This record gives sequence, structure tokens and C-alpha cells, in this order.
Amino acid sequence: MPAGFKGNIAVEFTKLKRSSAFWLTLMGAAFVPLINFLKCIFRPDVFVKIYDKNGWAGYIDDNWSVASAFLLVMYVILVTGLVTQIEYRNNTWKQVYATPRSVADIFFSKLIVILVLILLCFFLFNLFIVLSAWAINLVRSGYGFFKQEIPLSNMMLISGKLYLSIMAMIGIQYFLSLRFKNIIVPIGIGVGLLISGFIIRSWEHINYYPYIYSVLVYFKNPGLKPGTANSVMINSTIWFTVVSVFGLIYMTRRKERG
Amino acid sequence: MGDYLIETRSLSYEFSKGEKILNDLNLKIPKGSVYGFLGPNGAGKTTTLRLILGLLRKQRGLIEIFGKDFSKNRIQTLSRLGSLIEQPSIYGHLTGKENLELFRKTYGCNRSRIAEVLDIVKLTAAGGKKAKNYSLGMKQKLAIAIALLHDPELLILDEPTNGLDPGGIIQTRELINKLNKDFGKTIVVSSHLLSEVEKMATHVGIINKGNLLFQGSLSQLQQLKSRQSTVEVEVNDTQKAGELVKSLFPVKEINGKKILLEFETKERVAQLTHALVHGGIQVYQVAVMQNDLENLFIQITSE
Repeated sequence: MPAGFKGNIAVEFTKLKRSSAFWLTLMGAAFVPLINFLKCIFRPDVFVKIYDKNGWAGYIDDNWSVASAFLLVMYVILVTGLVTQIEYRNNTWKQVYATPRSVADIFFSKLIVILVLILLCFFLFNLFIVLSAWAINLVRSGYGFFKQEIPLSNMMLISGKLYLSIMAMIGIQYFLSLRFKNIIVPIGIGVGLLISGFIIRSWEHINYYPYIYSVLVYFKNPGLKPGTANSVMINSTIWFTVVSVFGLIYMTRRKERG
Repeated sequence: MGDYLIETRSLSYEFSKGEKILNDLNLKIPKGSVYGFLGPNGAGKTTTLRLILGLLRKQRGLIEIFGKDFSKNRIQTLSRLGSLIEQPSIYGHLTGKENLELFRKTYGCNRSRIAEVLDIVKLTAAGGKKAKNYSLGMKQKLAIAIALLHDPELLILDEPTNGLDPGGIIQTRELINKLNKDFGKTIVVSSHLLSEVEKMATHVGIINKGNLLFQGSLSQLQQLKSRQSTVEVEVNDTQKAGELVKSLFPVKEINGKKILLEFETKERVAQLTHALVHGGIQVYQVAVMQNDLENLFIQITSE
């Protein structure tokens, strides 16, 4: 008997083994904490004082402020492209569509893989923040990370908000990656929209523009209405739902599959 | 279901307005057959097979597989057939076994099937190797193994010998014959090579420019072919030889040192040779020139 939706999600996860999408998740999550680790190791004269004052909050902010503004968005653009490219590059879409699976099964099982992979990236990023801080303390005893409690609830709150903020982009990038065989197209569109977002950041309707949501959620928004950060999280979820439904309808009605 | 596993009725397809790819195709693929789907490149073979598998959205006509309308029974039908369309669909970053494991889970078949299908396609030793390191022949075998995983009644193989070296072609052909004879599979195999199809098919469908020109058993095709085959005889004296045999055999042309005659039967070729030798003619060579696919198309279309 053919596998159900749950079984096919497991199948989609198996495809990630040794894939570029998996390695990007691992390395993407480690990159900023690694740089911060090196920074603290080589310049304790500067950073011991800073982190003595701000502690974990300062260190977490130094990681997230870099990641949320640019790297997180770039990661989403790349990882959605790479997951769908597993099929394009191996010429396997036609085989996938020739198996006893509905279009909705194929569409949502892959989307779930992407959502979980990004969730894994968030988890690893937080883990590497903690591990890198401890490693800094091991190498340079002047730092005080061991003495302070890790603000886990705050880390989860930041992660939760940022995850919600990128949902819209995940939906849009996933659709683009399915629509275009050439990975350069979704990446190009994604990067273009990200850069445009920075240019129009102060626009009064920026809360309808998904590619800047993570910045709006993480940073202060001078000149924008109060509550913009909260409204973009709701808008992001709406965007994600609408684009996912549209994407499914598009894939179902597509003239050619695989 | 009747005697046919696949039946299409008035299947038509066009890519853009006016550009017809398939025109009223009525395929009848008998159960238990190896159906050679023959046609030159661009004739519409792959389009037909993609329509049959639901990879292209049907525009006009009916596709019945296992006696049921495919468009209403897509998932049920796909669980009973295996396919290989164009180049092999293999995940290069995974090993052969991991590739099979993926599809095994989707089809929901026993884990033991992996070893069985690897054995059938003779790929057991390379099962643990990453598929990107496989040769084209090995990839083709792995793709066939994937198609066989769930022990389907019907196999659809689109140009499975394309790009293979002669050894690979022979192995694939032997495999197709084995799957048909030993495992009872009905196999649709497309090709642009008549000689290739003749070696494995029991039934043949010939398509050109989206039209089905011929459909029938291999023996029916061979009868058709032999009607238009030519016997070429190289002799020392064509004029004398021509005079000798023209009242007994259908001479088509006398050309330099060769006489061309219509092929009738093998026995008639023997009689011809005998008559020439007894008439004092030195016979250097006798050859039966069979029709190639192109000539066959011309002949079928002209009939």
C-alpha cells in the first residue's frame, strides 16, 4: 500500500542526506557565532568590558542583529531554492509525479521539510550562540558567561518572532523555486526584493512588504507606526497562507509536471 | 479491462495553438506484450508516454489504463505501474540503495524488494555506491530497478537504451525480455530504432508526426517490411543474368554489376541463386536489403 502523507514527509527528509541544503543549514547556523567567538578570543581587551556590562543579552544581540538583517533572509532564499533543486538537478520531478502521490502531498511534504529545516537552523543558531559563549569563557577566563544564567526564554521569544516574520518569504520563495527550474531566478528575485526592502524601509506601507519583515521585527522602527513589528508578524502569516494556497492551485493546474 | 492494459481513444495534444503534437492516437497495448513504440525523434512518443503517466495535462481524448479512466484513477493506476521517462531519475548524492529506499517507502513495499530488484538488474555490488558515480548504463539499470520496486504489472520505458554503449544496449534488451518472459510484465518500450524494437517487441506501434501509422504484432510488421525489401545480387554479367531471371523473378533494376529484385521469400532467394549459377553466371554476393525506419514510414504513409 502506498505511503501516506506522513510517510512521504519522511521520504522528503531522507533526500536531504548529504545535500547542499543540509550543509547550508549547519554552516549558516554556525557562521555568525563562529565569527563572534573569534572576535572575543582575539580582542578580549575590548569585549570583556562590553560583555561584562551587557552579558548574555549583549552577546545574543550581537549574533541576531547581524543574522536577522541579512543572513537569515539570504539563508531562506538559498535553502528553499536548494531543497527544490534536489529534484531539478537530479531530473527527478517526473519520477516524483509518476509515483502514487497527490500534488498536494508532494507540495506540502516539501514545504514542511523546508519549514522544519529552517526551524532546525534557528535551533542550531541558538545552540551555537550558547556553545560559542561557553567556548569563549573556556579559552579566555576573563569573560563572565559561566557566571550568568542563559536567558533561554528570551532566546526563544526572539526566535519565535523572527520565525513568524520570515513565513511570508518562505511561502513566496518556495513558490518561485517550484516555478523556475533555474535556481538563479528565485535567488535573483529574492535578493532584488531584499535590497529593495532596505531602500523603501521607511515607507508607511512597509508592513505589507515581506522581504524586510525580519528587520522590522528585530530592530526599532523610527518613523513607523508603533506596533509595526506585531502587525508584520500577522501579515507574514497571512502572506504565507495565501501564497501557499495559490502555489498549490498553480501546481495542480500546471500543464506540465516534471 | 479486456485484452488491453492501455488503451487510448482519439488522444490529441498540441503545445501551442495550431502546433499539433498528437493527432487522434488510438493505442491498444495488449496484456503480456512487449509493445515497441517506434518513431523518429520528435514523432510524439515521449509526449504520448508523458500523457499516459499524467505528466502532461490531457487536452482531448481518453486514456484507459487497467480498464479505467486514468484521469479519475491517477493514484490507484500509478501504484500499479512503473516508469522510466527519458534520462534516468536518480538522486546523485544518495547511494543506489538509498535511492531505492526512498521509492520503497513511497510505494509501501517490503524492504526485501531492494535486494531483489538490485539482483534482477544485476546491480547488487554497486548498491552502496553514490549514484552520481554510476555510469549511464548503471543509472539506467537503477532507474529500471526503481520502476520494478513495487512489482508493477505494467512498465513504461521511454528510450531505455538511449545513450548506452552496445554492451549496455544488449543488457537492457535482455533485461526487458527477462521481465516479460520470467516475470510476466507488460512492457511499453519506446525507441527510434526499428532494429532495436524488432529484437524485443511482440507488438509494435509506429508513430510519425503525431499520427499512429501502424499498430499490430511483430509478425504483421515483418510481413509489411518484407513486401518492400529488396534482393541485391552482385554478378559478373548483369545483362545476361537479367535476361536469365526476368521471366521468373520480379526484377526491379539492373545497375552496373548489381541486379535488384523484389524480395518474396527466403526460398525464392535460394531458387534465384540456383538459377543464376546454373545459367553460368558467377554470383559474388546476394544480400537482402531491408527497409530502414525512414523507408518504412514512406511505405506505410504511401499505402
